Amino acid sequence: MAKPDAAVVKRSLFSWVFGPNTKLQLLLLVLIAITVFARVLPLEMQKRIVNEAIRLRNVDLLINYCAIYLVSVVSASLLKYIINSIQVIISQRTLARMREGLFAHIISLPLSFFRNTQPGMVVSSIVSELALPSNFVGMALAVPVINLLTLMAFAGYLFWLNPWLAALSLSIYPAVIFLVPLLQRRVNVANKKRVDLTRRLSDKVAESISGIHEIHGNGAYSIENRKVGSIIKRLYRIRLRWDLLRAGVKTSNNFFTSLGPFIVFILGGYLTIQGQLELGALVAFLSAQEKLYDPWKELIQFYQSYQDGRVGYDKTMSYFDAEPDYDLIPEKRDPLELEGMVEVKNLTFATGDGLKLLDNISLSLNPGDHLALIGFSGSGKSTLAQCIGQLYAYTGGQVLLGNAEVNALTKRDIVQNMGFVSQSPFIFDGTIEENLLYACEAMNGDRSDASQPSLDDKIQVLHQTGLFTDTLRFGLNTIFNPGQDDHLVEQLIRVRKNFQGQFGDSLAQYVEFFDENRYLVHSSVAANLLFGSPNREQFKGAQLAANAYFLEFLNQADLQRPLIELGADLTRQTIDILGNLPPDKVFFEQSPIAPEELDTFKALAGQTRRKKLHQLDETDRAKLLELALRFTPGRHKMVSFPKLLERLILEGRALFKEKISTDDPGAFSFYDNEQYIFSQTIQNNIFFGKTTTTNMKAQDKIVQSIIHLLIEEDLLETIVRIGMQYQVGSKGDKLSGGQRQKLAIARVFLKSPRLLIMDEATSALDNKSQARIQNFLDTRLKGKATVIAVVHRLDIIKNFDQVAVMKAGKLMEIGTYEDLMAHKGVLYELVSGRK
Amino acid sequence: MNSSAGENKADAGCEFQENLEILRQIDFFAGLPIETLKVFAYLCARETYQAGDFLFTQDDDDGQAFYLISGDAILAHEVDGTEIKVRRFTPGAFLGSLALLGSMPRLFSLKAADTVVCLVLTREKFTKSIEQFPELMPRLLKSVVVGIRSWEKRHMLEMAARGVSLEEMAGISAL
Repeated sequence: MAKPDAAVVKRSLFSWVFGPNTKLQLLLLVLIAITVFARVLPLEMQKRIVNEAIRLRNVDLLINYCAIYLVSVVSASLLKYIINSIQVIISQRTLARMREGLFAHIISLPLSFFRNTQPGMVVSSIVSELALPSNFVGMALAVPVINLLTLMAFAGYLFWLNPWLAALSLSIYPAVIFLVPLLQRRVNVANKKRVDLTRRLSDKVAESISGIHEIHGNGAYSIENRKVGSIIKRLYRIRLRWDLLRAGVKTSNNFFTSLGPFIVFILGGYLTIQGQLELGALVAFLSAQEKLYDPWKELIQFYQSYQDGRVGYDKTMSYFDAEPDYDLIPEKRDPLELEGMVEVKNLTFATGDGLKLLDNISLSLNPGDHLALIGFSGSGKSTLAQCIGQLYAYTGGQVLLGNAEVNALTKRDIVQNMGFVSQSPFIFDGTIEENLLYACEAMNGDRSDASQPSLDDKIQVLHQTGLFTDTLRFGLNTIFNPGQDDHLVEQLIRVRKNFQGQFGDSLAQYVEFFDENRYLVHSSVAANLLFGSPNREQFKGAQLAANAYFLEFLNQADLQRPLIELGADLTRQTIDILGNLPPDKVFFEQSPIAPEELDTFKALAGQTRRKKLHQLDETDRAKLLELALRFTPGRHKMVSFPKLLERLILEGRALFKEKISTDDPGAFSFYDNEQYIFSQTIQNNIFFGKTTTTNMKAQDKIVQSIIHLLIEEDLLETIVRIGMQYQVGSKGDKLSGGQRQKLAIARVFLKSPRLLIMDEATSALDNKSQARIQNFLDTRLKGKATVIAVVHRLDIIKNFDQVAVMKAGKLMEIGTYEDLMAHKGVLYELVSGRK
Repeated sequence: MNSSAGENKADAGCEFQENLEILRQIDFFAGLPIETLKVFAYLCARETYQAGDFLFTQDDDDGQAFYLISGDAILAHEVDGTEIKVRRFTPGAFLGSLALLGSMPRLFSLKAADTVVCLVLTREKFTKSIEQFPELMPRLLKSVVVGIRSWEKRHMLEMAARGVSLEEMAGISAL
């Protein structure tokens, strides 16, 4: 990461015009000079064509002048295009630079800044508000220069033709120059309000969306609609006003400038009649006059863009005009390598209004010491950890890391030496592996010489944090494409054989094997009918219910009506249970209807109550059929599954195989114990079946056996590597709370920092995982890395070198666990009270 | 484990309906309106444990409640490596309502004495559902209060029957 330009918010709008754009701007100037010349030349040619060629009836001259006319018109257009292109390049480059600079600045601002700043506000500033200013930067030099020059050239030409007429016809412009800024002032007021309201709208929308659970939970749709609606209405009014005023500026400008020809006609016409002006000169005069409009109009537009851009730019930059608490990277030195020694002296941290969150705290840790911070919530234990971790700038006293003052260190010095796991860690969209590398990559920054963690390192931290099994599971749930890795597929078939030999019996209760003669309770109706993976697009997924061939088969097998009936039953039952619940995974895991389909099926449920099935229209029937094809009795428990239908489907399976094997032999790969099934996960392939349990203990047993098998084939690392490519979803929402926490710990472990701060880092973990991590800290890190852990559970603090008990921002007592217990102070009370 | 559904008794009504019937008989849920019970009945999972399997283990905060449909389970407490049997639960027993309400590391272990089929509801599912019906919390609290009182009363009666002094042994519900 480059050092962000700290002054980005202090730069004036004009400062963006040159800088890296200087060369392009100079090129523009040269092109403009040529363009202006190419613009004036046709006027002179026009005059000569009329006055010389036509009057003297000289065809050669006519051709010559016309050729010059043509060339200059063509080159003027061409040059104009090039000039426009360069302007676009400049404004887009500037927009990109402004966005980068502002984003880098914003994320370096202290955490306290974000207490009052909604994400929506930042988004709208970076995404939309900078467009107008950067648009202006593109024009800033080219537009005024080219238009002023053109204007002057035409005006000069007019004066050369007839000074009196020129002076009179130009007399309109000063009036415009006086009037336009007056109007523009009101435009600016409207524009400022528009920027403010746009921000409030972004804020409010962002807030509503982040609170979507609450809205659904309380059915508060109308409240949110009202809140957002009132801002939208005000924004509508202000935008209307803004646009109308802008149009007003344009219109009044147009009106005044169109008075020009009027003067020329009346005065010039008179002069020509009197013989004081040649007809050719009058024609040239009129043309030149007309050509004044364009540059003039562009100048006025430029003026408007400048005003709009300036307002947006100033409002945006001034909002974010705050100082980061710390420099991001040290100047003229490498990041410090600090000893793992921590010395806190009389540390105080007060809020803006004088409330002391930390009050005169002193403690010291030798390198490799482990400290547990305990206390009730609000006691300041997290704040203390955050001050030591440089997340908050303390207001009094000192924190020394290896004898360096924390407040004086740069961020890079801190991350080089420290790992921080926060209370509710954030996981970014991407793969497990990308998230694992997050802290390491941030620490290495741009240095290309920094060594990357090896696969072994990664697997090691997965083990240390207990994320290994989770990652393995993700790997096992991967679906391969045919041809993706033929060698692995062969090995997996071998694992299947071994599984059947070694665990086939003991795990049989947890697995439903793909057996051609049995109905698969844990597979969908569609899977039961097809009993194979489709090789043709038209048989895949949701397309199946719309496939004419398949529908014909369903009729033939007497299945269409019973399945639609089943679909209707499923719809009514599921809507009855889930109809009013929010789209949470917990509620929809066992539902055949996905949350986003809820509204469609709600309407359908009503339909099926009012009408007979044959009265429904085609699309509704198709929807019900599609739902029935998803039905998996082992998972969707809300309806009963008629025995007759089960037998019909089993019959249908055999019929379908026969039918498709004659009609289109390659369309399906039927489940075969000797073949890999590409529509199924790796795990289902190993089992040649599906697991039937969601029980954690049973799943552990299953995973242990699979690990055993994978080790035999030397495939364990391969599958884990595949698992590390698992996409965790936005904010890591495809992971459980515990998995997110383990991942957050793993990414810090991976960079093996000399000082590790864990702020209730294991609070979402089950006992076993917590014990595993604690055990790792006790046995592997003791004496090697200094650890400060904010702890909410008292049963894990015995092995810490020191325990510090906090209350209301003060350090009540500190010492070894045994000493404090023997001393019968606050810790003793806490511990015995809990027991 | 969940394979009991849909195999042979498919025509005999669905698992959801059976779960609903069961929940209506459990004191903890009995006072709840039917639409809430439907959500719980839908979210419940059926699990089968073989003899010797643990339904939960001491110190674990597994956050599950169990209703025994068939098979017995034994509650035990372990102190310094020795296991003390506390009591035996038979079909119809409902355990773990407190674990639904909040974090509660187990003070006991529960082990299947023979093949146990039970209904399981997890704290996550319970909490997410009850968030949807916040007006029901007071009713649940009421049933917990009634439960705690009757536990202690029974405890006292048992102690008295065995001739054990109540000194320092009872009074938990008075805290």
